[in-house]
Amino acid sequence: MTAFLIRRLLFAIVLVVFAASAALLLTRLAPGDVTSQLGPGATRAEIAATRARFALDRGLVAQWTEWAGRAVRFDLGESFLYNRPVAPLVRAAAVNTAALAVVALVTATLLGLALGVVTGSRHDAVAAIVRVLSLVSISIPPLLASLLLAFIAARTGWLPVGGMSSVNASDMSWPAWLSDLAWHLPLPVLALALPLAATFERLQSQSLAEALHQPFVRAALARGVAPSGLILRHAWRVSLRAICGVYGVAIGALLSGSFVVEYVTAWPGLGRLMYEALRARDIYLVAGCAAMGSFFLAIGTLAGDLLLAAADPRVREAEPA
Amino acid sequence: MTVTRSRYLGVLVTAALLVAGFLWWRAATPENGLRSRAGTVPRRGGQLVASLRTDPRSFNRYVARDFTTEALTTLTHDRLVRINRATFALEPRLAERWESSEDGRTHTVHLRHGLSWSDGTPFTSADVVFSFEAVFDRRTESLLASSLIVAAQPMRATAPDADTVVISFAGPSGPGVRLLDNLPILPRHKLQAALAGGTFAEAWDTRTPPGDLAGMGPFVLREYQPGQRLVLDRNPHYWRHAEDGTALPYLDRVVLEIVPDQNAELLRLQARAIDTTQDALRPEDFVTARRSEQQGVLKMVELGVALDADAFWFCLKPEAKKKDPRFAFVQKPQFRQAISHAVDREEFAQTVYLSEAVPVWGPITSGNRQWFDPNVPRYPPDLDKARALLKGLGLEDRDGNGVVEDAAGTEARFAVITQRGVTSYERGTTVLRDRAAKIGIALDIVPLEFGAMIQKMLASDYDAIYMKPIMTDLDPAASMDLWLSSGSGHFWNLEQTTPATEWEKRIDTLMLEQAAATDDRRRHELFNDVQRVLAENLPVLYFAAPRMYAAHSTRVINVMPSVLRPPILWNADLLAVNGPGADSSSASAEATADAPSSH
Amino acid sequence: MKRAGIGLVIVVASIALFAPYLAPNSPDRRFPNLLYAPPTRVYVRQGGFRAPFIYQWRIVSRLERSFRESRVRAVPLRWFADRRLVTADPDNNAPLLLLGADAYGRDVFSRLIYGSRVSLALAAVAAVVAVIVGGVIGAVAGYAGGRLDDLLSRVSELVLVLPAMYVALALRAVMPLVLPASSVFILLTMIFALFGWPIVARGVRATIASERQREYALAARAAGAGPVRVLRHLLPAARGFLTVQGSLLIPAFILAEATMSYVGLGFPDTTPTWGTMLQDAANVTLIVEAPWMLAPAAAIFSVVLAVNLIVQGTGRPPVQLGK
Repeated sequence: MTAFLIRRLLFAIVLVVFAASAALLLTRLAPGDVTSQLGPGATRAEIAATRARFALDRGLVAQWTEWAGRAVRFDLGESFLYNRPVAPLVRAAAVNTAALAVVALVTATLLGLALGVVTGSRHDAVAAIVRVLSLVSISIPPLLASLLLAFIAARTGWLPVGGMSSVNASDMSWPAWLSDLAWHLPLPVLALALPLAATFERLQSQSLAEALHQPFVRAALARGVAPSGLILRHAWRVSLRAICGVYGVAIGALLSGSFVVEYVTAWPGLGRLMYEALRARDIYLVAGCAAMGSFFLAIGTLAGDLLLAAADPRVREAEPA
Repeated sequence: MTVTRSRYLGVLVTAALLVAGFLWWRAATPENGLRSRAGTVPRRGGQLVASLRTDPRSFNRYVARDFTTEALTTLTHDRLVRINRATFALEPRLAERWESSEDGRTHTVHLRHGLSWSDGTPFTSADVVFSFEAVFDRRTESLLASSLIVAAQPMRATAPDADTVVISFAGPSGPGVRLLDNLPILPRHKLQAALAGGTFAEAWDTRTPPGDLAGMGPFVLREYQPGQRLVLDRNPHYWRHAEDGTALPYLDRVVLEIVPDQNAELLRLQARAIDTTQDALRPEDFVTARRSEQQGVLKMVELGVALDADAFWFCLKPEAKKKDPRFAFVQKPQFRQAISHAVDREEFAQTVYLSEAVPVWGPITSGNRQWFDPNVPRYPPDLDKARALLKGLGLEDRDGNGVVEDAAGTEARFAVITQRGVTSYERGTTVLRDRAAKIGIALDIVPLEFGAMIQKMLASDYDAIYMKPIMTDLDPAASMDLWLSSGSGHFWNLEQTTPATEWEKRIDTLMLEQAAATDDRRRHELFNDVQRVLAENLPVLYFAAPRMYAAHSTRVINVMPSVLRPPILWNADLLAVNGPGADSSSASAEATADAPSSH
Repeated sequence: MKRAGIGLVIVVASIALFAPYLAPNSPDRRFPNLLYAPPTRVYVRQGGFRAPFIYQWRIVSRLERSFRESRVRAVPLRWFADRRLVTADPDNNAPLLLLGADAYGRDVFSRLIYGSRVSLALAAVAAVVAVIVGGVIGAVAGYAGGRLDDLLSRVSELVLVLPAMYVALALRAVMPLVLPASSVFILLTMIFALFGWPIVARGVRATIASERQREYALAARAAGAGPVRVLRHLLPAARGFLTVQGSLLIPAFILAEATMSYVGLGFPDTTPTWGTMLQDAANVTLIVEAPWMLAPAAAIFSVVLAVNLIVQGTGRPPVQLGK
């Protein structure tokens, strides 16, 4: 077990380095560079100075070496867009996104799995309604869904139309601030969680329906054993395996932040930061965000694999074929 | 079968739920807003919430030119003089009055007496001299420096006494004292050390604690929550008073919320979560805003005709295009005149801006009231004339495929690059393409991502581009980079050393004279000539300039809308709110606590 | 239920195939006086019953997008004219706008059915490729275990971590400026398949890894069956996941096409697609004022529903656990 964990952690480091380096490389390859952000009135001198500041006038290898040397000491360079060091920027954004992601993940998991069990084991009107709602949720693009939710929030006044805190948040006491945050969470959480819950529901529904066809279930029912929670639980554990496979990716994607949702709901998170950095070709910020995102993905897939092992012990015992 | 029936039932019920939900939200209207009270006398107190798109790049305007930094500077700093954004008249600010010498090269500026910075330190001429030093400092390479250069030399400032500054130009200048609006005055006592140590360019970045900042503007930064908002409180030492003697600003607090999405911004405005935006409304949102206005939630204000219109131009750089057989006819003005004749600008205004636009034929629109020349030659829509012009260049459709070609068979087919995601560009290029097709010119529209487009533009590696290159200044003498053939903003032919054509040489001469002339009438004559030359030779084609509208909540009074950004916050010291604001109780408690000492 | 799904798919596919005949108007034809026009109402009564007809929309206010019907002339619908099933009188500014017009005055309904060709073809092909590639890789990883499993799983993570937008941008930069629709199609299929296979692979891997420990698989291996043979028997266990995940990829790819067009890797604007139509409609004002522009979402939903009905109607009698 410890060997397994160590291997995965080592790979996480490799993944982070790879992601950041790929981001650096691709930023250089993409047409245009950060100097496009200076506007049409920029002078030659200004453009040259900005290029030099971000080592764009040097070769790719030289730039990478310099960046790697600093990154080892956790100095990820500076951002052009924010004129500050990258590391604290990325950290702050990641914390904001993590708050959102955790709540969204819990919501989506509870909602999706529960509904999936319902639709997988029953075939009546309720299941049909849930299934249709799921499919509706999957068909709507995230941009439209976020806008619709924001629109409903604006018209009904039940929730604030975006933002992470209220205007006078800094004057609040701690408990008031927490409840203020809780009041701002539902809008982006719903925008993130609903499509994910729908995905989980579909997957859970399919695999539970299949798992219920297993011999032990059919045999028990044939023997006249009343369908009970015990059977359901066993079948359910088996049905989890595919979901655990993709769960890790879902964790990683949520923690990396969804640009669209954060943009529409004005949530100052990692997704928005990365997208703005990508658009501006803000090279060190892109590398920093990519590193953070890949770190989350590695954690996520590790968590997914551990969950899989917990749900289905057979996976753990496997030797290589 | 039970299963099938229940599935159908499920679908039906869900459909019914969805329809019901849809009907419900269509019927849901926002609560009727409070009608604004009859009294529009501004009173002290209250809080205003405005929205912004992005975080500031710096708190130091000398090194950052993004819009948020500019807006912040408008609120927290002041200048010697100001060009009123609504009337375009020159107003004294930190300077009380000034005298200019006969030759227009020396200006003696008298500062108001007894002013203080927001932290209480006295304001003197030493601060002004310091600001000039900082902006021209070689190590800083300030962005503002180029706007304060006259006759290729920086301005020089000296202070004979604490209340007087003498500013000398190296040559006569058309705009004259108006140029001083470009320089916010920074505090010497806070930044002297940085300038001396060569770190002025890094000073006052966004990590700076607000307590280290000081300004002469109506507000002081109290808090910056990255990604979320900036909170500004009233400056207790602000120099200005209203006509009835009330100490300005009226507002206790201004909050700048960072809202990246324009849809969300509009929703917040309707939900009364914010009071005003920093951008004009999009044409498609006018009807929503108008409806909210009728319900008493918002007020729409007309800002005027935009100062800049979307532009369409071909790459006219001979060095880049000399091997291109199409360049032979592209470089002839008749080619571009033909296209100008082909476009029906009324139809253009209707399609692209839903009729809320005026036709334009040159770079100066009627929004720039002082410099616009209505007698600029126009090109009425005339397809026959356009075709005749093309024929005169030898371009005819010889092979019957709908596209004209020259005698050698080179087709008039071009790739037009534009920026993806901007509605007016997408619509404009569609209309342009359809009209050009009618006279046989084939335009392939290629929407590219912003960075990719800029790269092609800077490398002169394109056939044609459709976008809005921004001209920020009202006074043409302040945008010499654009007019002069050697300028860095001369976008249809970048990096020229000498004028490529006769008419470019003529414009160079006219503009240099215009910038140096001090007689207003002469300046207008010269610039009208420039506009005429441009309209005859058409290096760039313009079609329509939108009429701009902004919206603000009914709480806000004393609004003076401007077509320049920020449209409403530019005179923040005179803005007031009517009725209780969000949490104004805490804000006004603070206001009474630090009541300004009498001046 | 499966038959209903198949029926729906056939209907959608026929609509896509016969789009040029079914569309009342050309998809890129602009009617400059009908921007955001609402759907034309079809009447069958005028006095008594008569053949279906419409009235022309006249604009009242362009800015307010208000129209009124011009009752001067009843424009009859023409059948089998102009090589179309049904049309009204587009040449005289009285087109049949079953779903209204968009921002340029183009018929939304015609664009919807023309758009189905590109969007569905792209999404279907890309989903199939992603499922095949991901399925194979996932199966191999799940069966092999150990080092190979590690390697393939990590490779899938490396792919997931790449910023898709930059890959698209870099690709766009090396392509010629004016791309024909066929090149865009191939490029997009490749990109979607590239970023789609890891998620398929992960689910398949988890399923196969668990399944290969089942008694029948162990028995088969003990009896000396080769890996390919055993794998062939293990794969049906992953079939459920593959079909569901594949069906989830289809709407994702339809919508991702719009994101790709944002970085310049999209179809020329004369080719309508559902993704870009929805993106253009994503405006707070339009959602309320011109809800017919959200029709592509309904279209995507019906496709997703159809695929889902097929996929989840496995034909076996469902195990009823509820009372």
